[in-house]
Amino acid sequence: MDMEFSEEQKTLQSTARSFLSTESPLSMAREMESNENGFSRDLWKKMADLGWFGLPHNEDVGGSGMGTVELVVLTKEMGRSLCPSPYIPTVILAGGAIAAAGNDEQKQCWLPAMISGETVIAFALQEENTFYDARSVHATAVPEGDGYVLNGTKMFVEFATAADRVLVVARTAGSPPETDGLSMFLVDPNDVNVRMEPLNTVARDRQFQMKLDGVKVATADVIGEPGKAWESLEGVIERGVVALCGYMVGASERIHEMATAFAKERVQFGHPIGSFQAIQHYLALSITEIIAADTTTFYAAWTLDEGEPSREIVATAKAFAGDTFRKASDIGAQIHGGIGYDEDMDTTLFLRRGKQYQLSMGDSGFWEDIIAEEILDR
Amino acid sequence: MDFRFSEEEEAFRKEVREFIEANMTDTIRSKWLGGLLDTPERQEFVTKMSKRGWLSMGFPKEYGGTGESMPLAQYILNDELHKAQAPIVGKNLGVVVNTLLHNGSEKLKQEFIPRILKNEIQWALAYTEPEAGSDLANMQMKAELDGDEYVLNGQKRFITSAHFADYMWTGVRTDPDAPKHKGISLLIIDVPTPGMTLSPMNTVIGEQTNDVFFDDVRVPKERLVGELNEGWRYITEALTYERFAMTSFAPTIRKFNRLVQWVKDTELNGKPLRDDPVVRRKIAKLAMVVEAGRMLDLRCVCEAVRPDYVPANEAAMNKMWGGIAETVLTDEALDIMGPYGYLWHNGGHAPMDGDMVDDYLWAGHQRVAAAGVDISKNIIARRYLGLPAS
Repeated sequence: MDMEFSEEQKTLQSTARSFLSTESPLSMAREMESNENGFSRDLWKKMADLGWFGLPHNEDVGGSGMGTVELVVLTKEMGRSLCPSPYIPTVILAGGAIAAAGNDEQKQCWLPAMISGETVIAFALQEENTFYDARSVHATAVPEGDGYVLNGTKMFVEFATAADRVLVVARTAGSPPETDGLSMFLVDPNDVNVRMEPLNTVARDRQFQMKLDGVKVATADVIGEPGKAWESLEGVIERGVVALCGYMVGASERIHEMATAFAKERVQFGHPIGSFQAIQHYLALSITEIIAADTTTFYAAWTLDEGEPSREIVATAKAFAGDTFRKASDIGAQIHGGIGYDEDMDTTLFLRRGKQYQLSMGDSGFWEDIIAEEILDR
Repeated sequence: MDFRFSEEEEAFRKEVREFIEANMTDTIRSKWLGGLLDTPERQEFVTKMSKRGWLSMGFPKEYGGTGESMPLAQYILNDELHKAQAPIVGKNLGVVVNTLLHNGSEKLKQEFIPRILKNEIQWALAYTEPEAGSDLANMQMKAELDGDEYVLNGQKRFITSAHFADYMWTGVRTDPDAPKHKGISLLIIDVPTPGMTLSPMNTVIGEQTNDVFFDDVRVPKERLVGELNEGWRYITEALTYERFAMTSFAPTIRKFNRLVQWVKDTELNGKPLRDDPVVRRKIAKLAMVVEAGRMLDLRCVCEAVRPDYVPANEAAMNKMWGGIAETVLTDEALDIMGPYGYLWHNGGHAPMDGDMVDDYLWAGHQRVAAAGVDISKNIIARRYLGLPAS
């Protein structure tokens, strides 16, 4: 039993913190809210140069083959600065799926370019429902000529218009809730039969409804064995979800630090407001929740790396870290008082993201139902 | 990072489980956190553990200890004892032995430590008074030196083990003119001593605690622990020595597991409870609270075994979460039962024989006992977050 970081993990953490504090301060998060792509290509390239995109991938495609624990060390730091980037959809989800299921040619074609920061791949799983697994997927892929034709509607596709490809999960067989019959396809977002409708999100990031209306995909762009996608996707999605937990824990830590610092400085009734128990108790409960979410997230990451049964702990981590970030962002703004709700204040960056991230990649209720299945139905 | 216990630790856990299986009986089993050593059967159970050296792990050999020991052994032992609702080995060792080792005279160490490690004597901790609850440093019971003896007058309240203890570990006021934290000392008092009167108090769940009245009780001055007027420092340090008792989350996990089993086994309104979507969400939310508590517990334990580090903040977080979790768990459990939730023991219709009702009533007590939820929040705010004093 040991919760300390290794030397390597400590180095990754300190490097990331100092890099992000200068290259991606909170002003970057705000700036990218009105950027067409939702992220800075320049920052993206610099992140690539630090080797972060190869972190979860094997050495034969230019990666460093580290574990989910290291991924969480990194995404926590990204969360602390609300770093706007397609890191989770591109590097962990789409990249992870290609690495896990793709053939050698596909891996060599896409992964080195992704690792070097040249290529962005979006990830399209969820549809017009609240599930974040195989139950969500109704879109179909029917064989035709040398390839498939895709039809369906994807939702919440992040960074889709800035991407070079979108990894789309569709059914070549079966129907929800079956996991058999799912397949993965690389789709060009500029295909004439793809229509992207921007979604106006509260975090002001770039997300889209993606309509596929007879999109042709060549066999070379089918990732993995048709019908068997879930075998590799399940673990990839869990890794992505845990990475988001890390991001939320880091963001929670940051807003809590901001609120604590403010409470020490802000004087009302002749005293710093941080001396009032009403304020102290908010902050004390919140930091305890954050520490519990942090430990739960690392436990989930460690469980994935050890290859142990992970469904319940991943669900617990996402639901708990999501609830924790929402509460921390809410309390963080509250403690700032009226100014906490001023559009120009950084508190509002957290307030808007707190609710959104709790609901994305499976809302808390979705994951709670999975926890209940694991506990009550086995 | 490693969330696994070592092979050596797992082997010890197995040994403890086997011991419990061989020695545990319904008479020994106690519903309450840390089961008191208030009956001969419970005392004998702990004496058997002492014979295996489980009370002396990590303490110096010259006082009957084992010397070096596996750092997590105490945690594992109490974790298993908690799960089995057996008496734990925390209070005497954590508070009395550690404080004597760090601050006591050689005479007191020789006199008491070996007997504690053999479970020959029982203790009552006596700090609280009617006017010194959360504001513990406001204790007023007077101890005035008269020749070679202190003369004690005053009252102690909520002295849980006083009706079977051999000794009382007592905070007294030895300098009424000094600031309140600077005039307290620690005394070891024989139970009974002439002039000492016990008056039982029954708690809402029927467990006994006591008022203790002191009327010219005389205590030899060599029973002073450490230095005069340094008692407050010893008391607060001792609270952090309570590593042994830090596994306070194990009982909550046990209650949650019992609730889950009950939900699985029960039909309500003609349908299996486990299929009710509202019940499912409640169980999931409770599972999250319980898992978070387990993580805080393990984190606290990892910090506690670091050399020269006292996990005061982690322990406060643990304590706070435990109180909150017990409340949420027991309240939701009774809600799931509907009107059956208010049926108490021995009526024949009560789910879990009404145990969850006791747990609900006692959860409130856990939120106020020994630095409860709000006092723990004060500690976290001041010590961990560095917020200014109010």
